[in-house]
Amino acid sequence: MRQISAYRFSAWELHMFLDTHPNQFEAAKKLKETQKKAAELTEKYESQFGPINETSKDTSRWAWITGPWPWEVEANE
Amino acid sequence: MWIYEKRLQYPVKIKTPNAKLAKIIISQYGGPHGELGASLRYLSQRYSMPYPEVKAILTDVGTEELAHLEMVSTIVYQLTKDLTEEEIQKSGFDTYFVDHTTGIYPADANGMPFSASTFSVAGDALTDLHEDLAAEQKARTTYDNILRFCDDRDVRDPIRFLREREIVHYQRFGEALRIATDRLDSKNFFAFNPEFDRKKMK
Repeated sequence: MRQISAYRFSAWELHMFLDTHPNQFEAAKKLKETQKKAAELTEKYESQFGPINETSKDTSRWAWITGPWPWEVEANE
Repeated sequence: MWIYEKRLQYPVKIKTPNAKLAKIIISQYGGPHGELGASLRYLSQRYSMPYPEVKAILTDVGTEELAHLEMVSTIVYQLTKDLTEEEIQKSGFDTYFVDHTTGIYPADANGMPFSASTFSVAGDALTDLHEDLAAEQKARTTYDNILRFCDDRDVRDPIRFLREREIVHYQRFGEALRIATDRLDSKNFFAFNPEFDRKKMK
């Protein structure tokens, strides 16, 4: 999860930078790479711990409602 | 449209409860410089904003503030969840506890409930963007003040992350302001309001 968060953070930062700098080709390229890496890690995580959102490939209802939820300490180990 | 992601933007893992700290940190949930007001301010200012870059930045910053709202409430939740009645009374958290127990309620450090009167939507690009720049600095100041009273590393770490984000958002809003002024009359930026006056629109 830490790795996913790190890649997602980096992607988000580039995404926001591109809002005000839409012509920055290098940043756009970096964003694409970062998103790809984050997607791979997310798929790996979800296959083990269940979906992190409704667009996940894993649609198990039980895995979705099962904790820990993000505000619980155990989700942030 | 929004989709929930079952994770925090940045991890929060607090080992030691501390009601006194929770009492001041809750201000960044429902207080005058808090994340709830930030999110509602930016998401509400989007509609009449004429410039695509600025619409995008208001949407994205407003969305990220919702993730910060979740982090702040998580900090308060974890700081208060294993408290004894004695600790609650001694720390002064009893005045919150009497109405909310250990539930999370958007209020400021003095217990005043969240109010939309803490922010403004003026419907004028320059006015609103200056408000947004000020808002990011106000939130940064409040995080700095929280850090003065906080020596638990588990709490300092996510608070420092949130403080840092205010600075990045300030930077993005600065760029948005430049984009807006670039499209206005350089002899008088205030000659007309691009969100209302239709003539002379570039």
